[in-house]
Amino acid sequence: MAGNRPVKFRILELCNSGKWNYEIVAQIQKEYPGLKGNFHRDSINFDIIELASGGMLEDIETKVDEEGIYKKGFLLHKYKLTDFGKIRASDACLMYV
Amino acid sequence: MDLKALKKQEHKKRVKYGYMWALFCAVLWGMWYIPGTTVWVLNPFDEMYGEIAAGSGDGMALVIVAVLITAFNALTVILALAVWNGVLGKFGEMKRTVKEFHPCSKWFFLASIFGGPMAILGSFIAMGFIGGAFAAVAALMYPVVGSILAQKWYGEKISKRAYLGIAFIILGGITIFGGGLITEIGSGNVAWIGYLGGLMAAAGWGIEGAIAGKGLDIAEPDVGLTLRFLGENIIWWILIVPALAIAGFPMFKYALLAFEPLTLLVLIFAGITFGFCYVAWYKSFPLIGVGRGQGIGNLYGLFAVIFIFLFFGDVPAWTILLGGALCLGGSSIMFSEDTGEMESLRGD
Repeated sequence: MAGNRPVKFRILELCNSGKWNYEIVAQIQKEYPGLKGNFHRDSINFDIIELASGGMLEDIETKVDEEGIYKKGFLLHKYKLTDFGKIRASDACLMYV
Repeated sequence: MDLKALKKQEHKKRVKYGYMWALFCAVLWGMWYIPGTTVWVLNPFDEMYGEIAAGSGDGMALVIVAVLITAFNALTVILALAVWNGVLGKFGEMKRTVKEFHPCSKWFFLASIFGGPMAILGSFIAMGFIGGAFAAVAALMYPVVGSILAQKWYGEKISKRAYLGIAFIILGGITIFGGGLITEIGSGNVAWIGYLGGLMAAAGWGIEGAIAGKGLDIAEPDVGLTLRFLGENIIWWILIVPALAIAGFPMFKYALLAFEPLTLLVLIFAGITFGFCYVAWYKSFPLIGVGRGQGIGNLYGLFAVIFIFLFFGDVPAWTILLGGALCLGGSSIMFSEDTGEMESLRGD
């Protein structure tokens, strides 16, 4: 199943129980062989921002990236699936209904 | 730097880029009316109009030529988007999205029905029959259709403020359409099809937006847009153009003649401006919210009138200017209230 559905579907799945953006990006880059490198890293992160602004993910925690796990000196966000996100995800035939 | 300052800085950066994308969209969308108006007087479309008008009358000729122009517009848009997706390395994602026909891509194909044969065809008809400024300003009414549909369909509430905006836009619409009509009724020659085209543009884009939103929020917008135009190309080149050819119209004869340098250049210009105005539009939404994105994007009406003045020297009738100003004011009232997305973007 991994790596053959649209990236945003997979992001919604991963965020079910709350996850940091760098964890999501790393997981996606591991599963999708075509999405290596910094350009795709930023573009996956933008997908997360889009889902959050669409109301499907909610930003539950923020911290500064002190050690440079993602981008040193920038903000890290932790996201969780919203109720609306759950509805849209189940429309897309993901696991939780 | 502390957390609070960083949050503020990140927010400021997003908003800046969001406004930039939305403004790009408005400029490109406004520019699209230049090739859209020019292409009507170029060959083979001019000759085609003459040939069909001689056999089937002016009204029929106009619609048939508009179909071929719209079909070419769809073709050059998808070329521009294919290059864009290629550069961004998104063909893999496109394959994954197409496969999800049931949850996702069906919405793009449905959107293309209203976006293409209704909105874009209507715009070209309005440009050909009445003029670019009218076509641009008439389509400014699309948020009214979009918000009424969203209310009926997803049960979205329309606030008092939004109703006020809608009232302004409808008033603007009456001014735009009524102004032209009264002059024409006076002279006894009414371009009904052109006005119908203007209405088709507004209704089509409103419906397209409401439908496409359902698929776009769970897909990659660059990919979603390309699929939406793929759908439109299928509608024109596989269904409508061959059907009209079978009905006896010289579709393929003139389609093959379109490969003239100047005509191609104008068509490619149309494809690039139209394709990238859509891309920029969707890029602005996550950064500043759909409401603000659409509000700024609607400045295209203003840009279209300015560009048409600069390129063709046409000053639109005062009813178009006044009506356009009312529509712009109305959409600013409607969209400026929408701060929900801004809050969630700020993350506090």
